[in-house]
Amino acid sequence: MNVEITGLTRRFGRTMAVAGVDLRAGPGVIGLLGPNGAGKTSLLRMMATAIRPTSGTLRLLGRHPGAHGPRREIRRRLGYLPQNLGYYPGFTVAEFVEYFALLKEVPAAQIPAAVAAAIERVELGGKARTKLRALSGGMLRRVGVAQAIVNQPQLLLLDEPTAGLDPEQRVAFRALLRELGQRATVVVSTHLVEDVGAACTRVALMDRGKIVFHGTPEDLTARGEGHGTGDAPLERGYSAVLAGARS
Amino acid sequence: MTAVRVPAAPRPMPAMRWHLRAAARLLRLELRRNAMPWMLPVAVCLFWITAYRKAMAMPPLWSLRAASMQSGALLAFVCPVAGVAAWMGSREARRHITDLVTITARPRWARQLTTWAAATCWAMLGYLGCVAALYGVTARQAAWGGPPWWPVAVVAASLLALSALGFAAGALVPSRFTAPVAAIAAFFALALSTQLIQGSQSYWQVSPIVAAPWDIGPDTGRGVFYPYLPDLPIAQVMFLTGLTMAVLGATALPKGPGVGWLRRPAAAVTAAGLLAAGTAVALAGTGKLDAHGMIAIPAVHDAASDRPLRYTPVCSHAAIPVCLNPAYASYLPAAATALAPVLNEMAGLPGAPVRVSQTATTYRQGTGNSVSVGLAGPPISGTPPVFHLLLPDQLPGPPMTTGGLATALRSSAGPAIVASVIGDGPSASPAQQAVAAALSMSAGLPQPSLPGPVIRRRSTTVPLPASVRSAAGRFAALPSPARHAWLVRHLAALRAGQITLAQLP
Repeated sequence: MNVEITGLTRRFGRTMAVAGVDLRAGPGVIGLLGPNGAGKTSLLRMMATAIRPTSGTLRLLGRHPGAHGPRREIRRRLGYLPQNLGYYPGFTVAEFVEYFALLKEVPAAQIPAAVAAAIERVELGGKARTKLRALSGGMLRRVGVAQAIVNQPQLLLLDEPTAGLDPEQRVAFRALLRELGQRATVVVSTHLVEDVGAACTRVALMDRGKIVFHGTPEDLTARGEGHGTGDAPLERGYSAVLAGARS
Repeated sequence: MTAVRVPAAPRPMPAMRWHLRAAARLLRLELRRNAMPWMLPVAVCLFWITAYRKAMAMPPLWSLRAASMQSGALLAFVCPVAGVAAWMGSREARRHITDLVTITARPRWARQLTTWAAATCWAMLGYLGCVAALYGVTARQAAWGGPPWWPVAVVAASLLALSALGFAAGALVPSRFTAPVAAIAAFFALALSTQLIQGSQSYWQVSPIVAAPWDIGPDTGRGVFYPYLPDLPIAQVMFLTGLTMAVLGATALPKGPGVGWLRRPAAAVTAAGLLAAGTAVALAGTGKLDAHGMIAIPAVHDAASDRPLRYTPVCSHAAIPVCLNPAYASYLPAAATALAPVLNEMAGLPGAPVRVSQTATTYRQGTGNSVSVGLAGPPISGTPPVFHLLLPDQLPGPPMTTGGLATALRSSAGPAIVASVIGDGPSASPAQQAVAAALSMSAGLPQPSLPGPVIRRRSTTVPLPASVRSAAGRFAALPSPARHAWLVRHLAALRAGQITLAQLP
């Protein structure tokens, strides 16, 4: 298992953002759904080792991230795209991706090829020498994905990766997710159930800091038959599970 | 989801070679996208205004220009370096990229150290370029000696420390206002650090802006006759290096549990830096103004530095030659011309100096910030007698032009040469006063006067009595050979006070 989470909690002051999550995941694409404030981003940030859990156990890629050595090993194999991507406007696309390749300790000899491959995979090869300040929001999002995958991560955490992408790019990105999910664990936090239906092999639905559903997209669809509200089957499953959890 | 029971095989740790290559690539990237190059033109312009032009207006003496460069360069670079370093230190938080870089494998301190190093490299490059220009021009102008490197090292260490302080401020308080505040604060801290200096034994002398004993200011005599003492610069470099280590170490002190492996070395570096800085401050407090106008710190003082530098003086070709230190060779024609009239009057007289020889200034620390500067002994001494000359530029005060120096030399050294030969002074007889006045008159020197009453703690002078002035006028009106012949015959009696005004021809 690349991700083994047991009883994970995270508190910010009086707010319990994550209230006892259990999750196990191997290679594949897992969609993390949930309403605003459900705790998706907090869970992703804990899995990214950006913040520490308040309680519970977290085991990533077979290691505990609490100690320095294992955490560093995890971080070498980790890709993360935060919800709000910060960037250095003066860097070019290639420099930004190279910067993260260096920070992720990709062997120096492999960096040029890794950077070029990551940029190509997000279809920004023609913009490699363009400064980030000159890119559109959607292109910046793709740059964020490129920096996340430059080290060929075994655990890839993407928070709202398709926000700002045009439909064509979104389709291409889903294909990329499916490809990455064949050998890595990809956790995608999203509000867009189409992404889940098209790219995810598993789906987890969070509400009020807890996972209230964990299964395949088909299972979620089945939950909505005759119950939920929404235009698409997955949306109906989503609303049915949430309604059930809140009742 | 596919269940995989085997944990991911760890990749082999990158070899040291990979680490170095990666660090070099990261540094190159940071160098390319650093903000410091944008501010370097500002720093260079400030250097040109505050240091270069000022130094070029000074005589081409290495120690003088180096000391001027030290304080000028520091004032020019302090704001750009501290400000840009703070800007770079706050970059991650300003750009909301903290999460993204925090979850990478490279430790925070290594990442930040690279950013700091890139900013500092640029600052150092700009500074060394400025020094190269200043020293290059001085090398072509200076007649003797070589560049003192300690002032260069002090400013370089200062830039490291300022950069580290600015960076730490930016990293700790990441705001867009941190950079300007850091720049202004650094400037005032540096400028005000000298306000508390009292005498030569002051801890505040460790401030890098202090290039020489603070009470004296620019002084051409320092480091010319005796070696440039590195005692104070050693303490300053030690202080600044310690400060840099302490700040960088503190910046690397990790937050949160589970990173004890880094906390210990970071704390050790911080403690070592604080210890070095504290020791340097204590050393600076033991410094004393030495006789040659520099700060000597006993703990780091090398006794060999007390030996005068060997040099072959440059001399004018006259009956009484004027000999100067070769560093002042450019002044020789002006000095010889200024003193020629009085030396021609003195040539051949019994007891007249065989040469006028420039000598080193002697400094003595008085109470508080007062320093007395002058000759160590009588102006004329030795057998055969030699007149010891201090050029006006060797005394405290603003540097002079060659013309100004000649005028000042004529009015200070001229009467002193006459007085030393005739024996004029407070206890001189009226005849001695008259002869001294007559010789000064014929040599075009200012008329001597007598000490008057002290009014409001200031010494005043009164004109010579009418009888003395009348005798002086009479003696000055004699043809020069007659005057000279009379002096040759009667100088010994005149000096002994045995000649009256009436006996003067």
